[in-house]
Amino acid sequence: MKRLLGAWALVLACGVPVLAHHSPAAFDRSKEVKLVGTVKEFRWQNPHTWIEVLVPDEKGKEVLWGVELTSPTYLIRAGWKSNTIKPGDKVTVTVNPVRSGEPAGIFRSLTLAEGRVLTERPARLGTADSK
Amino acid sequence: MRRTSVFLVIAAMVSASCSPSPQQSATPATPAADAASEEGKQLSALAPANLAKPRPKPPFEVTGNWFIDVSQNPEAWRFGPPYPKLTPAAQVHWDAAKKYTAEGKVYRDDIGQCWPAGLPLIMTRYWPMAMVQIPTAIYMISGFMNSVRIVYLDGRKHTDPDIIVRTYNGESIGTWEGDTLVVDTIGFRGDHHWMDQGGVAIPAGEQLHIVERFRMAGNQLEIEYTMTDPQHWEGEWKSTKRFNRVIDEDIQEVSCLPDLNEHLQSTTSKTQVLQ
Repeated sequence: MKRLLGAWALVLACGVPVLAHHSPAAFDRSKEVKLVGTVKEFRWQNPHTWIEVLVPDEKGKEVLWGVELTSPTYLIRAGWKSNTIKPGDKVTVTVNPVRSGEPAGIFRSLTLAEGRVLTERPARLGTADSK
Repeated sequence: MRRTSVFLVIAAMVSASCSPSPQQSATPATPAADAASEEGKQLSALAPANLAKPRPKPPFEVTGNWFIDVSQNPEAWRFGPPYPKLTPAAQVHWDAAKKYTAEGKVYRDDIGQCWPAGLPLIMTRYWPMAMVQIPTAIYMISGFMNSVRIVYLDGRKHTDPDIIVRTYNGESIGTWEGDTLVVDTIGFRGDHHWMDQGGVAIPAGEQLHIVERFRMAGNQLEIEYTMTDPQHWEGEWKSTKRFNRVIDEDIQEVSCLPDLNEHLQSTTSKTQVLQ
């Protein structure tokens, strides 16, 4: 079995529209990359939360990946807290990568060392019935 | 001890040179300052005398947090399709965006580079828009970069074009017509200002003129947009948006901080076509 650490798998992803402060067109929604590595930094902030993950490549060299998430407003609704992850934590993060091949992507899911899986909530507030 | 004395002397000299003398502080107000209180001068929307002026009761209040209704269409934040017939000046950008999108690149995403979204896109960001209505104005603050928009309701006219300060949200004047609030907006910045995002590039120019008709449709706020910009498209570009009331979230402080994009690598990646 291929060693997971430092490897990434490409699988088909179902397209979920997410609007960031920037255009989402930079990301390839048809691909998923599974990053198995160590958290370098986790910034809980508006308009976007982000994670930097150190991921060993095939030769064992650590590559810094940038992972973009939605705002804390929606992450809180999906069960996240500012201390959900911290530097040094071993994590598996799945992203849709940028089309340029650079080590960056937009967040799909996070698996903590304990096995808990976290995702995002759709960026949507209010209903037509809200008074 | 000696060092302390020197310090006190220097401090006294600095204080004397920086503080206005009694004679200076007693100087009468300038003629310009006097004019601000003269009869007929436009009062601030927050001036007590303006707020206290007798006015008819408005047909409705928009005070609240509002979010574009994307329940039927996640792309409802866009103001097209349909799109108007573009002029050659705009078509070149439309074509470039299509070309670069096909190549997996992002063309001129100025919002992603921290330029203001501006009207109309600021109204339909995926962040709530806080609106506070008082007799003289509606103050809008977007949860997206805390962009501020003010719609004046106090009867003022648009600012003289020779002195208007162009902005991305423009200058908005609202008047009540029956059960509708008609908001007329001009005075836009025409650079780094776009009518769409994410694969569609239509510039917004200085001739952009937006008329919004606000109505309450049940619990929803409906805004009908009529937009013209002869530099970039022919005729009227129309679109109607509905907004849901958000009762369980407030807007927060949101800024495009100097180090934001440094950590959102997609915005600085080779996918970006900035010029």
